[in-house]
Amino acid sequence: MKTLRFSRKDLGIPYILFLIIFVVLPLLVLFYYAFTNGQGQPTLSNLTGFFTDPNTLGTLCYSFAIAFVTTCVCLLLAYPTAYVLAQSELKEKSVLVMLFVMPMWINFSLRITALKEILTLIEGNLAMHPFLNAVVGMTYDFLPFMILPIYTTLSRLDRSLIEAAQDLGAGDFAAFWHITLPLSVPGIVSGVSMVFLPAMTNYVVLDMLYNSTYIMGSLIGSYFASYNWHGGSMIALILLAIICVFTLLTRGMEEEDAQAVGGALL
Amino acid sequence: MSKAAKNKAGKLLALLLTGTCLLAALPAREALAGEKEEGTVVLRVCNWEEYIDLGDWDEEETIDLPSGDIIGENPIVEDFEDWYEETYGKKVRVEYSTFGTNEDLYNMLTLGDVYDLVCPSEYMFMKLMAEDKLVPLSPDFFDASDPNNYYINGVSPYIRSVFDSKEIGGEPWSAYAAGYMWGITGIVYNPDVVSREDASSWAVLNDPRYARQVTIKDNVRDTYFAAVGALKHDLLTDPEFLADPDYSLRLEEEMNDVSPETIQAVQDYLQSVRDNAYSFETDSGKADMITGKVVANYQWSGDAVYTLDQADEDDYTLCFAVPEESTNIYFDGWVMLRAGLEGDPERQHAAEAFINFMSRPDSVIRNMYYIGYTSVISGGDDPRIFEYADWCYGAEEDEEDTTDYPLGYFFSGDNEDEDYVITAPADQLDRQLFSQYPDEAAIRRSSIMVFFDAEANDAINRMWINVRCFNLRQIPVPAWIAAVLVVLALAWLWISHRRRMPRTS
Repeated sequence: MKTLRFSRKDLGIPYILFLIIFVVLPLLVLFYYAFTNGQGQPTLSNLTGFFTDPNTLGTLCYSFAIAFVTTCVCLLLAYPTAYVLAQSELKEKSVLVMLFVMPMWINFSLRITALKEILTLIEGNLAMHPFLNAVVGMTYDFLPFMILPIYTTLSRLDRSLIEAAQDLGAGDFAAFWHITLPLSVPGIVSGVSMVFLPAMTNYVVLDMLYNSTYIMGSLIGSYFASYNWHGGSMIALILLAIICVFTLLTRGMEEEDAQAVGGALL
Repeated sequence: MSKAAKNKAGKLLALLLTGTCLLAALPAREALAGEKEEGTVVLRVCNWEEYIDLGDWDEEETIDLPSGDIIGENPIVEDFEDWYEETYGKKVRVEYSTFGTNEDLYNMLTLGDVYDLVCPSEYMFMKLMAEDKLVPLSPDFFDASDPNNYYINGVSPYIRSVFDSKEIGGEPWSAYAAGYMWGITGIVYNPDVVSREDASSWAVLNDPRYARQVTIKDNVRDTYFAAVGALKHDLLTDPEFLADPDYSLRLEEEMNDVSPETIQAVQDYLQSVRDNAYSFETDSGKADMITGKVVANYQWSGDAVYTLDQADEDDYTLCFAVPEESTNIYFDGWVMLRAGLEGDPERQHAAEAFINFMSRPDSVIRNMYYIGYTSVISGGDDPRIFEYADWCYGAEEDEEDTTDYPLGYFFSGDNEDEDYVITAPADQLDRQLFSQYPDEAAIRRSSIMVFFDAEANDAINRMWINVRCFNLRQIPVPAWIAAVLVVLALAWLWISHRRRMPRTS
């Protein structure tokens, strides 16, 4: 009897095809548009245009600022939460975790619409605090993405390390500062990258909360709406490059941390 | 079977499986679309979102006009398919899709989406005309002796004169485009806070008394028009200018002024509007107006009718005003695409029949009732469309404070025509009736916005991005210092973190 066997390689074929059609080809198109002008001739003017225009650079700064503040606020809110969750002696910890994830089950635009009403109640006129609104909206939206990875790292943390530190005379704070915090860096890093990058481009939050300043996402959209596909593609590429650099940096850190954990255990 | 051969067979199967999946998913459209399935003509129509009657009305929604009841039972597209088969003995199947903005539609067409009949606004069909992407309407379409030619027999004389007189490349709009809906832009306002005089000028958008309580449209063309109107206020309201025999032409020139100085002035103006407004919006302004978050809202007349209706339901009175400087009049029209029809006479016939069916008075009323915009059709000999306007806005018998509102300019071409006067409650002069059918004075000071050539278009889009972007020069010095400090702190953290790491050797 003949049996059909798939080697591991063959099982990858569907995904590779998917990758080629939906990732590689569009990227090539993006590259083509980014480095050509309206007449289809190769040019670098889109690239130089981006870095010489105070508006596009300003947008980059503004997006960075929003993303940075959002990430800091998320981290400050998420770390204690995750710490308490991980430390709690409750049997049904997963229920608690679920409570934090549950908002994500509700449709995104619905949540922001509700937030809009709440903020209007608190602030009076929403349009007075566009930057604050954007940060609150993004924090509201992305907080679970910060809590979960930190919680996961913290709950996997070997308690005996802390006990050992305490045996050697470290106080609670010293044990936290020298053991828990460094060991939870991988969680923080993946949380930061899950919040920071989307916060730079998620312009729907800004739109819905009446911040009329463009961030990177809306800037790209406006280029395409005015038929300037070349400039729009270039900005998309630049954003991609920023994300690549960011990912490489954080990955370097995570690897080191993995080594560090190994080192600490030896 | 050797191992290698087995591997090969497995690989082939995997390829085959994925291939079939992809094949099944991707080109299904192409296989079906545009092909004639056993004598059925397939018509690909692309229209604005929520811009057609989808039927399924309740019994109570029946519109009881003197000339008979009108109710939408089925989607109007299905009614068209039935009507076409009954009238012409041929089957037609409509593939109906929608677009969100004119620019989206243009991008879709550029990317290779194929449609036979689309319904963009005037500047976009002018652009398509100029790019030679359209098929002219056939002479049969304009044959008034055919009773099934509802468009030519029913189109408003006013609209007809516009479509005949506006030209591009020496050809009138009407050679390629048949109107669907039209309207003007204006200000929806809360009469408790904003006076009628204030709302009757584009300057209200930049009025510090209403700081952060005004919304504006989130697109470059609408805001450009409003800014030009506000900037040229003195000229546009000058009696001498108003009395100019070429007033309409000069008005159109002034409102479509794209000289570099004007663009710069508009940019400065819009930047201050941005800091004064509540938001740039496309859709949310209606809700914000009704919930009282804002007191004035730059609005298209069709959406103004909707906003006022919704507010009425909450016993909250809103009004509509048309700025005294000028108002942007817009027309959405059906045009046939060369790339879609491919010279197929049957499909062109179906496309023209579709326009005619949409222009049949009962379809017109159903669409107007459903979407709130105003049709270009006045009905010709059919009285039902005027009856519908009267049904909507006419005063009750016992109403005391009424006013006579002449609409002859739209229905018969003569505003003195006594057959087309609606006796309406007096407040309708500022409300739904005025938004749905603006009076002749508002129409007189209306101007279209033409499509701009590539150079002007680039300059205007550039201007718009400048308005919306955070300019590097706006960043105050303390923010720069803070940013540098943050970067330094992060770098220090990272370096010290690396140093502290115990190394495994």
